[in-house]
Amino acid sequence: MGRARFWMVCAAALAASLLLQLAVDGGVLPDLLNPYYLHLLTVIGMNIILVASLNLLNGYLGEFALGHAGFMAVGAYTAALLATKVLPPAADLPPVVGPFCVLVVTLGGAMAAAALVGWLVGLLTFKTVGDYLAIITLGFNMIIVNAIQNLDFVGGPRGFTGIPKNTTFFAVAVCAVLTLAILRNLIQSSFGRVWVSIRENAIAAELMGVAVNRAKNMAFTVAAAFAGLAGGLWAQNQQFITPRSFDYIKTTEILVMLYLGGMASLSGSILGVVAYTVLMEVLRNLLSAFAPQLAEWRMLISPLILILIMLTRRYGLMGNREWSWLRPGRSA
Amino acid sequence: MGVLVQQLLNVAQLGAVYALIALGYSMVYGIIRLINFAHGDIFMLGGFLGLLIGVHLAWLPVYVMMPLAMVLTALAGVLVERVAYRRLRDANRMSVVITTLGVGIFLENLVRLAVGPETRQIRSGLPTGSVTWLQGHLGVYVTWDKVLIILVSLTLMAVLWLIVNRTLVGTAMRAVADAKDVVPLMGVNLNLIIAGTFAIGSALAAAGGIFYGQAYALDPYMGIDLGWKAFIAAVIGGIGSIEGAVLGSFLLAGVEVTTVAYLSSNLKNGIAFGLLILLLLVWPWGIMGKPAMRKV
Repeated sequence: MGRARFWMVCAAALAASLLLQLAVDGGVLPDLLNPYYLHLLTVIGMNIILVASLNLLNGYLGEFALGHAGFMAVGAYTAALLATKVLPPAADLPPVVGPFCVLVVTLGGAMAAAALVGWLVGLLTFKTVGDYLAIITLGFNMIIVNAIQNLDFVGGPRGFTGIPKNTTFFAVAVCAVLTLAILRNLIQSSFGRVWVSIRENAIAAELMGVAVNRAKNMAFTVAAAFAGLAGGLWAQNQQFITPRSFDYIKTTEILVMLYLGGMASLSGSILGVVAYTVLMEVLRNLLSAFAPQLAEWRMLISPLILILIMLTRRYGLMGNREWSWLRPGRSA
Repeated sequence: MGVLVQQLLNVAQLGAVYALIALGYSMVYGIIRLINFAHGDIFMLGGFLGLLIGVHLAWLPVYVMMPLAMVLTALAGVLVERVAYRRLRDANRMSVVITTLGVGIFLENLVRLAVGPETRQIRSGLPTGSVTWLQGHLGVYVTWDKVLIILVSLTLMAVLWLIVNRTLVGTAMRAVADAKDVVPLMGVNLNLIIAGTFAIGSALAAAGGIFYGQAYALDPYMGIDLGWKAFIAAVIGGIGSIEGAVLGSFLLAGVEVTTVAYLSSNLKNGIAFGLLILLLLVWPWGIMGKPAMRKV
């Protein structure tokens, strides 16, 4: 029952995003369906991919990983390199099919590169747990950003410019739905049960014959691949990336959305991203409408709201619970 | 020889600032197993409080201004603990972490709105010029404020060590670190001990912030960067251990200063973190840390 409803919701979301994309491109109802809202939805989609994949590590596997923006950077720079230096511009290719192929190749490359880095990080960090794992993943994030800053052929600290805009809102929506579908099915599968068993008691899991290190490494690889996907989408949507936008401030932002939504809950990841993004935008608009001189204070109000949510709902909005349509067939 | 001494003094200065922050991380972690990610911003707040006191109460001598800023920052730290952390003391660790991140962002923006985004420097009020004895004997040019920063920092660390190891409050702190649930049964006021830990940690961070503002510059977002670095230093040394926090800080400063001096300042963070990760793979619990018990 749950399975059929899940795919129906996915199909409905994709249909709605396709309609929205066409409506904005066609200029129907320019007041309501304008590029600003579409841009917000695009950002929400990319952040859902990031937060949901980090949830795999922090929520389901129960490790305290802090370097997600680093994997995103690997994906973004790989995709940017493929799009500008390797592949021909989409204009030279046949319409519709050409841009689609470009997108598939760049995003595939981004996912593969990030997965490789994630696998390496997982391989090196399996010895440590808890706060030490946090510090090592954070260190890797800083090393990746620092390495990019010292690579001159990708722009170094000045950033990578001139990336073609290959991404649309619809492409992001497809990727986000695919990510959620894959993660949901992974979490329900025997892999997911192994991850949850490691979170609950690693030693007991080991005694039951779980290859703990291999399972952890698998989770790192998958999570990194999806972070790379989000990075690839980000690079080809913003058309300009700098190493600084992938440092620990970005990681902090992803963490804030993750914890706001709630751990070990894909519904929470969606809700956290939407709530955080909408909150920031509403605050910006409200403050600039009523008191432009107070617009700056938005940055003060949003963390306060975050603290309040944490004090009143300490497991986040959806911690360990799922919406019924996202719930697996049997309880995991 | 002269260059070596000069670099060692640079290491000592940077390491002292890192240590003053790392001690706060380590003490709070040791006692309630909380990584207070807002601690870097407490350090920044301390620096700016020092700056504001220096600007608005310029008639105060420097040896009054610094303790005053330390007391105010200690109050801020205790306030943060009381308002934001106390109710989450037995919540799961993730929601506490997110709260500390939120407090950090709040403090950054509060200071930025109050003082402005530009970088500022604290008028040091310390004697200027070089220490002539050192110049005469070793041929190194060392300014007085550098020497004073190192000496005052070391004194503060020694005072902290005495408090923790030789006083009743310190005994209570160590007892809380050992068995948080049992200690209140012995008649120790747990809230008071935890508030005291936050106060001491914040006061040390304020001293670090003022020194940093005198030696380098203050800006509202510096707490993130230095906070992470000090946290890393604390973990390297073995988080929860006071000696470890100091050792880790000087080690991190040493790696950074060496990288800047002999390689490139662009590679500073990368090489520092690379070496420190290698170190952690050798000593997974930090140099002075105790291995966590594996419960079966």
